[in-house]
Amino acid sequence: MTTRPLLEITDLEVTYWGRSLMGVGGKPFHAVRGANLSIRAGETLGLVGESGSGKSSIANAVLGLVKASGGSIRFGDVELAEMRTRYPSAIRSQIQAVFQDPYSSLNPSMTVEAIVTEPLRVHTTMDRAARRTRAIELLKLVSLSEEHLDRHPHQFSGGQRQRIAIAAALALQPRLIVLDEPVSALDVSTQNQIINLLYERRDEFGIAYLMIAHDLALVHHISDRIAVMYLGHIVEEGPSDRVYHAPAHPYTSALLDAVPLLDPAAQRRRRAARKVAPALDAPRLSATGCPYQNRCPHVMPRCRTEMPPAFAIDGGGTAACFLHAPDAGPARVSRQPARKEPAAP
Amino acid sequence: MTSNPEILSSAGSRRSRWRPDGAHVITAIAAAVLVLLAFLAIFAEWVAPYDPLRQSLMEALQGPSAAHWLGTDDLGRDVLSRLIHGCRIAVIAAAEATSIAVLLGVPIGLFIGYRGGVWDWIVMRIVEAVVSIPGIMVAIAIIAILGAGLHRAMIALGILFSTSFLRLARGVVLAEREEVYVRSARVIGASDRRILLRHIFPNIAPPLIVQVTLTVGAVLLAEAGLSFIGLGVQPPQASWGTMLNTAAAFMDFNWFLSVPPGIAIILTVLSVNLLGDVLRDSIGRGIAIETRPETPAARFAAAPAAAQPVALPRRADEILRVENLQVMVPAPGGEVPVITDLTFGIARGETLGLVGESGSGKTLTGLAILGLLGAGVRATHGAILLNGRDLRTASRAEMEEVRGNEVAMVFQDPTTSLNPAFTVGSQIAEVLRVKQGLTRAQAWTRAVELIDRVGIPRPEERARAYPHELSGGMAQRVAIARALSCNPSLLIADEPTTALDVTVQQEILDLFRDLQSEFGMAILFVTHDLAVAADICDRICVMYAGEMVEMAGVDALFADPRHPYTSGLLHAMPHASDRMPPLPTIRGNVPRPGDWPTGCRFSDRCDFRIAACDARIPLLGRERLVRCIRAGELELEAAS
Repeated sequence: MTTRPLLEITDLEVTYWGRSLMGVGGKPFHAVRGANLSIRAGETLGLVGESGSGKSSIANAVLGLVKASGGSIRFGDVELAEMRTRYPSAIRSQIQAVFQDPYSSLNPSMTVEAIVTEPLRVHTTMDRAARRTRAIELLKLVSLSEEHLDRHPHQFSGGQRQRIAIAAALALQPRLIVLDEPVSALDVSTQNQIINLLYERRDEFGIAYLMIAHDLALVHHISDRIAVMYLGHIVEEGPSDRVYHAPAHPYTSALLDAVPLLDPAAQRRRRAARKVAPALDAPRLSATGCPYQNRCPHVMPRCRTEMPPAFAIDGGGTAACFLHAPDAGPARVSRQPARKEPAAP
Repeated sequence: MTSNPEILSSAGSRRSRWRPDGAHVITAIAAAVLVLLAFLAIFAEWVAPYDPLRQSLMEALQGPSAAHWLGTDDLGRDVLSRLIHGCRIAVIAAAEATSIAVLLGVPIGLFIGYRGGVWDWIVMRIVEAVVSIPGIMVAIAIIAILGAGLHRAMIALGILFSTSFLRLARGVVLAEREEVYVRSARVIGASDRRILLRHIFPNIAPPLIVQVTLTVGAVLLAEAGLSFIGLGVQPPQASWGTMLNTAAAFMDFNWFLSVPPGIAIILTVLSVNLLGDVLRDSIGRGIAIETRPETPAARFAAAPAAAQPVALPRRADEILRVENLQVMVPAPGGEVPVITDLTFGIARGETLGLVGESGSGKTLTGLAILGLLGAGVRATHGAILLNGRDLRTASRAEMEEVRGNEVAMVFQDPTTSLNPAFTVGSQIAEVLRVKQGLTRAQAWTRAVELIDRVGIPRPEERARAYPHELSGGMAQRVAIARALSCNPSLLIADEPTTALDVTVQQEILDLFRDLQSEFGMAILFVTHDLAVAADICDRICVMYAGEMVEMAGVDALFADPRHPYTSGLLHAMPHASDRMPPLPTIRGNVPRPGDWPTGCRFSDRCDFRIAACDARIPLLGRERLVRCIRAGELELEAAS
């Protein structure tokens, strides 16, 4: 990494406080624990994990929708995590987002023109005619046309709505777009249209994407790098092909193995070869050690007590798993300082 | 809304769209009453036959006559004139109090709803204190401070009614600010003020408008009440309330005095509320029904539903057989079909996948079998034979007997398909008690057994858990246990793993397979995910735009898809290929019901279309069925 990344997340913590009566005295929930990520300009990072793994919390922290409780989020030369309230216009216009549900992400009472030009109204001094011209340009970028300007969102299909959301996200020519499950609510035949569209616009404008998804196979198509999250931790990170074809963390390979195959015969073989069903009763999270220890088929004694640090993996990237410790032997204690579990306040 | 004569005259020929039914007539009358009220309020001086304050003690307390149509009051004043001048007071009162209520309540409600926190807490406690005291007491208290008189009384009422606007605005904003579009607006960088006024406000306007009409009615009543007890309009000025006050005093001499103001109040309040209802119904949040120039129903009438019965061979040990099923949904200008000519069978111990995208009719097929089609949706043709009995024509009571016992369903989202108010064990036990007549203790024991059977550890303990205490996967296991409680011969599973994580999905699919080998039920597995279907199904029926386009055994379908749509879907699956974009797509969108092409419904999106595709395409074949006239000649790629 010679050039400075566009977005650099270091030791990010996101904690939600449970609400109790009158808003005090709730329990903390650590959604993100010490996450490290970076995205270079024009690069796509796929962030994959199950529901509750903390991937959306990272997205929200980058977007300034939740406040980081620790760590840093650097965007260019600016530290986002320290901004108490709202991003200044110059930053805000460079980080945009497309959300999952195209049915609720567009304001039902606004026309397509109003939706697409809203960022221009907020951040620029363009007059009405100039905004309309720009809106037509933007719609063309997403394969819609001028005739759609005066319609309302309910007149469009899910895929078309997602195109409108993308047009609005492109309006300010951002350098980073956070894509939070952008196609998971769409029909199969529409998903790829949107993926292709995102891909083309990325190459055209050199935008970086942070793409949140639960489907590793889908993310693999569009990402340069993939990061895998489990219970608030980033357990593996690396070049897209390496992570997809040679997963280093046991959780990543479990995720890949769980994706159903399109070949029924291969599916049957895999089913027969599948290991014993995981212990359903095991608590999801242990107080110390590796977050995946209770479901991991390779669990070792040290996994119970020590949090594995991110070890470098052949082919690029890292995996937080003692299987990849350079001193290999399962009984030996790592010389490297293991990252401590963040102490619960 | 008003009775346009042109519409009324043509109503005979287009009854379906513009029926001059009761609702329209009442709306028109209500509107007319309010227009008359406004007219009288503005032109009272010219319309009223006498000065409302002119006394004539010689003519006191007379009944209706040619000179005084509604008689005279205790001071000989003309009741009709006083009633007409009372309209003005009514309109002023309603306008004043309602605007004060709106201007005070809505901004505060918007602000505290959006901001929350300590302001919300403080304001809501004050509001609760105000609402906990009878409204009229609050008004009297405020009037005691401000002094009596119409305008002061209306300020009092405005403050009082502002609490309901405040609570409404706050409640709607609370719900609305969680919407994704609000998040989008924050990401754009819109200020809170802008988000509130430009983004949120237009969406909460409809309930506020309705609240305005309700408040107008309430204000009219309250004004009459306050004037009646002497705190509102002061005599000798004429208002409906003071007129009632007078009438009450002279009830023994002339009972008729109370009738005109009483009727005026009742009519006005009724009209305002009725119009409020109409407004509420007509201001949908962006769900205005599109106008279609053509009537699709007519087009489909030309193509008979059961054109050619498919000679699908009966399968051995068949549990369910659906034959030539057609389902219609209501649409503007008639009904449109959403499922046509659907025929399939499922044998005991077999899993049939019903695969398709949204709008293909796959979910409705499942609901049709259960007899749970929504309001207005009808299965108009064909037969649904479950163990030889036709469910399409079964009565409601018969269907209740069948559901749960012979056929059960597992839904997509386990956290919403289970009732959050009861423990999961009791929800299973209830089914057993109702359907199988078990005692409470027997049912509970059996419920725990079932929870154990679906692979949930510590079943005794988990049976006492509430749905929200279980993970999504656990909750789906419970839903499956409940579906299997009466040992149904057919289980319909509608996207049962779509809401789950992939690792959990795998476990649930394994569970379905295990349970099927033990219980031997037939499974109709509805899914949009061909890969899931590849894992769980024996045979797959691919649906597109309401009809089956291909049906084959699972191996044959994936190795050798015959329909261009099946092949397109297979290629579009994310794990089908390893390549970078552009990924293969199927161009265009699934057409909506009513917009289907007359010939092959996929023809608009198909790369292999020829002229003959514009005619109706039959489903061809015997064991393998495909609805494509070029199926024999096309060489379609299998999934890579």
